[in-house]
Amino acid sequence: MAGTACFIIVSKNDIPIYEAEVGSAAKKEEASQQHQFILHAALDIVEDLAWTTNAMFLKAVDKFNDLSVSVYVTAGHTRFMLLHDSRNEDGIKSFFQEVQELYIKILLNPLYLPSARIASSHFDTKVRALARKYL
Amino acid sequence: MEDYPEELRTPPISLVSVVGCPELHQTISSFLHAEQPPINTLALPDFSKISVLSRKQKDPLSSSHSAAGILKRDWLSKHRTRVPAAVAALFRVDCVTGDPAQWLQVCTDLENLKAVLHGRGIKLIVILVQTYANEDVNEDLKITLRKRAEIDAKYLMMLVQDDTPELKQSLTRLSSTLAELCNTYYREEGRKIRIRIEKRSFSSVELNIRYCFKVAVFAEFRRDWAEALRFYEEAYRALREMIATSTRLPPVQRLVEIRAVAEQLFFKISTLLLHGGKVEEAIAWFNRHFNSYKHLVGLDEVSFLHWDWLSRQFLVFAELLETSSAAIPNTLSSHFGTPESSLTEWEIQPAYYYQLAANYLREKRYCLDNLLSTGDSEFSRTSGKVPESVMPSVFIGQSARLVEQGDMIEVLPLSDAEYVQYALSEAQRFQDSYEIIALFRKACESFTNLKAPRLASLCSNRMAKEYFFTEDFTDAKKLFDTVSSLYRQEGWVTLLWESLGYLQECSIRLDSAKDFIEYSLEMASLPIFANGDQEIPDSKREYGPAGLPSQSRREALQSEVLSLVRGEEIVSRTDRGCSIAVTKEQPVRIDVDIISPLRMVLLVSVAFHDQSVKPGSPVMFTLSLVSQLPCSIEVDELEIEFNQPKCNFIIINAVEEISAARSNGDNQDVRIETAPSIVLPTNKWLRLTYDVKSDQSGKLECLSVTARIGKSFKICCQAESPASMEDLPFWKFEGMVQTFPTKDPVLSFSGQKVIQVEEPDPEVDLILNASSPALVGESFVVPLTVIPRGHEVYSGELKINLVDARGGGLLMSPRETDPFSSGNHHVELISISRMGDDDESRIHSDKIKKIQQSFGVVSVPDLRVGDKWSCKLEIKWHKPKSVMLYASLGYSPNSAEAARVNVHRSLQIEGKIPISITHTFMMPFRREPLLLSKVKSLPGADQNVYLALNETSILIVTARNSSEVPLRVKSMMIQSNSNKNETPYSIQHVGGVSADDSLLVPGGEFKGVFSVRPKIDSPNLELGSVCLNWNRDLTLSDSEDSGVVTEQKLPAVIVEQSPLVVSLEFPPHAILGIPFLFYIKVSNQTNLLQEIKYSLGDTQSFVFCGPHDNAGFILPKMEYVMSYKLVPLCSGSQQLPQATITSLRYSAALNPSVTATTIFVYPSEPNFFVADNEKETILAKLNL
Repeated sequence: MAGTACFIIVSKNDIPIYEAEVGSAAKKEEASQQHQFILHAALDIVEDLAWTTNAMFLKAVDKFNDLSVSVYVTAGHTRFMLLHDSRNEDGIKSFFQEVQELYIKILLNPLYLPSARIASSHFDTKVRALARKYL
Repeated sequence: MEDYPEELRTPPISLVSVVGCPELHQTISSFLHAEQPPINTLALPDFSKISVLSRKQKDPLSSSHSAAGILKRDWLSKHRTRVPAAVAALFRVDCVTGDPAQWLQVCTDLENLKAVLHGRGIKLIVILVQTYANEDVNEDLKITLRKRAEIDAKYLMMLVQDDTPELKQSLTRLSSTLAELCNTYYREEGRKIRIRIEKRSFSSVELNIRYCFKVAVFAEFRRDWAEALRFYEEAYRALREMIATSTRLPPVQRLVEIRAVAEQLFFKISTLLLHGGKVEEAIAWFNRHFNSYKHLVGLDEVSFLHWDWLSRQFLVFAELLETSSAAIPNTLSSHFGTPESSLTEWEIQPAYYYQLAANYLREKRYCLDNLLSTGDSEFSRTSGKVPESVMPSVFIGQSARLVEQGDMIEVLPLSDAEYVQYALSEAQRFQDSYEIIALFRKACESFTNLKAPRLASLCSNRMAKEYFFTEDFTDAKKLFDTVSSLYRQEGWVTLLWESLGYLQECSIRLDSAKDFIEYSLEMASLPIFANGDQEIPDSKREYGPAGLPSQSRREALQSEVLSLVRGEEIVSRTDRGCSIAVTKEQPVRIDVDIISPLRMVLLVSVAFHDQSVKPGSPVMFTLSLVSQLPCSIEVDELEIEFNQPKCNFIIINAVEEISAARSNGDNQDVRIETAPSIVLPTNKWLRLTYDVKSDQSGKLECLSVTARIGKSFKICCQAESPASMEDLPFWKFEGMVQTFPTKDPVLSFSGQKVIQVEEPDPEVDLILNASSPALVGESFVVPLTVIPRGHEVYSGELKINLVDARGGGLLMSPRETDPFSSGNHHVELISISRMGDDDESRIHSDKIKKIQQSFGVVSVPDLRVGDKWSCKLEIKWHKPKSVMLYASLGYSPNSAEAARVNVHRSLQIEGKIPISITHTFMMPFRREPLLLSKVKSLPGADQNVYLALNETSILIVTARNSSEVPLRVKSMMIQSNSNKNETPYSIQHVGGVSADDSLLVPGGEFKGVFSVRPKIDSPNLELGSVCLNWNRDLTLSDSEDSGVVTEQKLPAVIVEQSPLVVSLEFPPHAILGIPFLFYIKVSNQTNLLQEIKYSLGDTQSFVFCGPHDNAGFILPKMEYVMSYKLVPLCSGSQQLPQATITSLRYSAALNPSVTATTIFVYPSEPNFFVADNEKETILAKLNL
């Protein structure tokens, strides 16, 4: 499992709707803001890259010190962004794919308003479990 | 990059030296420098100076320490400026060919030169300088000289000084020879060293690196970039291996040296790659470079050196990228993100590296600050003072101390502790913050240009933090404000929280309580629910002054703000000496509009329960407030403001004393309501419903609601309608219970903050009467009556408006040709006059009176109930047109200035043409003048009327009533247009119906008979116009009416002299069997003899005597009479025999008309009873 990893889901109107520190070193020695600052800035790069490729998984789009930002863009232009220090690209890809399945389940919930904050604790638990599994 | 020495930054240039003949040095050196590739020249004026070329005497001590460092600081500059690759010795021809003493001197010079160059591989070239081309030099002498100099024949050259083309040629030859020699020299030098590397004949790694470096530099001299790159890379690799193994220097300095050398090597590598256009490789190299050194932090005390170094790497690489951006191919960006290239587009942007350079510089600053703040005393204690006179040593990346011992200056190595002290004191001298800000600004501007606002805002944010750090709060606040607006817009709560935390702190330091309150309230109302219990003590660096975003922090912020507005002081978190307070003298008022982020703090929605209301009657008004602050908030007073200030009211907390509230409110007449408690719980609507009464008609709108908390804090919210209320941007997507501002859900969806206050109902009658259709030309009178029923009328004003009933508004025709005529209105309002002009109120009422052609205003006197006021509107129609008449009365129901009431009435009035006039011209009975032009004109071609000159014609004018009302004709006359005394004709009224008030029923006709006698011969004689004076047949006693004149112009007639006039004469009646005389008289009006033919046909009814056909001559101005005697054979109306008169001169024949030749035949003598005098008058008139 990665030392540091910050996972965030950004809705299509650029608002973060889910955020989680999923690294094993979640001791917050580096605050989540710093991670969010990096992820927010990386959105610009994602905007550029997302339209140049058919792939959903954009791999590492940005680097900050030894941290990389990997991004997965869903068909609805919801972006899964992961700030991580591990190099396990396949693991990250699987992580993203499984999270997308979870996200689709959230979307199927008739009481869930699209682009609203994901507050489901079940989703949170699942995402953290996936992070432990793949990252 | 500017810190690097020039010889490192620029590619190496070959160096040659010229000795002797100083007057030529300028020419040669400038020529060589202009060559491609250029060659630098070291010019020595004469041979005594050649000692500078000689090898320095090696210090026996330093030569033994051959591996004291990796690279010598001045080696590169030595080869750039002091060690030439070739020497050109210049001799004048006359010196060589001159006397033996001179020759000897030349030989000595050459020997000396050779001695200096000996063993260094420097090439020699001898040049003989001729003044003119024709100076011939002995071949033997040349050979001798060549042998002396031990050079090949081609290295002995001639230079002609004064012949320009020759000189140029020689110089070209010289430069190519020199270039070749340089190349040889550098190749040989490089090869020598390369052999050493290949044989591994070096004693230490340092030497290996140095050799590689030298080989690479020599390759660069030769422009062999590939080899240069290979050896630089080799050197770099060897250096990397050295890190763990070398023990030569104390550890700190060792690392410093290695980093310095690595920096230089990497600089060379990346420059070569970038100039070769290999951007991707350069970036890959950079990443490798960065990765291999990023963990070499070293000891804690000197970690700042590491960060400083890293930052410099990024900065230098960014600058390199920027300067070589022209070499970057455009096609590069197309394959980013594809499998072949792992690079992203951003990695070729210098801004990316600038930004990282700034980040690492920031890191350095943190380390340095930590070091200085924590271990300051400790360090100074252990290591004593900062060593003096420390300077860079001969080796790159090393420092040494100069010690003076008497006259001797000795260079001593430093211990690590001393070095650390030195480095610290050096580092303290720099203002890193300015550097960091400059770098971030560069990156930020660049990202902004690249349309990457988020990356730019990240840089701005960092920049702002740096400003904050340097206590430049104004700039910091400005930047944080722009950054936070982006985060606010995109809904990144955590980032916004942090920016706001800084802003909050800035506003304390700038002593702005208002800003502080705004930022604090916004932070407190952000949707953050985390439980931030674990806050690490050293969190300031990571979190900023706001700390960890958490629910508890929000609550703390709210209570902080509330205590501030209730009078307590707030102290800055970063500087205890700074504080702010809200005092009575400086009250704080915050305005919240619909785009303000503070809507989260207080959102006010107001709704009237109705759409419209009668004036004076109350309407329900619901005021709903909601706040997203984490704790309940108690409001002391709410002030509701309307656009009609009379409706404003204040709601005060019942807990507070009313008198207290009243004492600080200056306006005493404001309505005050009390509410049991005004407490706003989190996300729960507080609904208050009150009655509002307005006396003023029009729009009543709630503008704002101001909440007062404490004595001197007010928050003023713009009121919003629930129907058009926007969601709160941050809370929209939070999973929370959705609530409505009002209890009634219908009102929540449709409620408005505006209500229409209607006008009071008019209680005054306005009566418009119009009897019948209006007739064109008359002034039509419409009586108008104002009768107050319930209201009294004060300052009344009556407006009259005439509008075309078919639309179009204007009552004039755009096709009207005469725009200057004032009468181009088809319908005109002539006057508004008071009916029954009885008292002085008339004068009063005429005070305001403005009448235009289709619009009029008149003031109405004050009327009490039971009074009555009326007036007449006089309207005149010029054209038949249907018109809408609008009358509106505006008045105040009471004498005080209050709402005005308006009554409107309208009436459609049709305008009609009352009378149509036609006319006919006739000749006198049985009289027929010959009108030549009439005869010649084609029948039916024109409608012109022809009249004979000096003959009486009869004009019959018929007026027909085409309206539906009976009219009375007062008179009918023909009015001449020209002056009376020069009338070219005479007209007399001779008969017709009597015009004295004769009644003309609808459809009825009135005829007037006039005799016309033209007096001049004119083809276009105006006969004037018919004037008919009429009025309505009013049974009312309205007799003073002078009547209306309808005028119609008669068409022009053609008058001409008739040459012949034929008149028939026979009795008015005949009696069966009794003969009577029938005369046909033809009078010749000309001065010519006229010949006529005439004939009379037979009929059954008559027998006659006289010629059937005959001809005759008429003398000028004479009359010719043909007389027949006829005996009627049948009784009744009989046709006389057909007579035909033909004028031969004019070829015109006349056949008298049937009516003119009809006679009534009585069977026997009838008896008439006709008064004689009457008979005479009729006859007399006819004969005129």
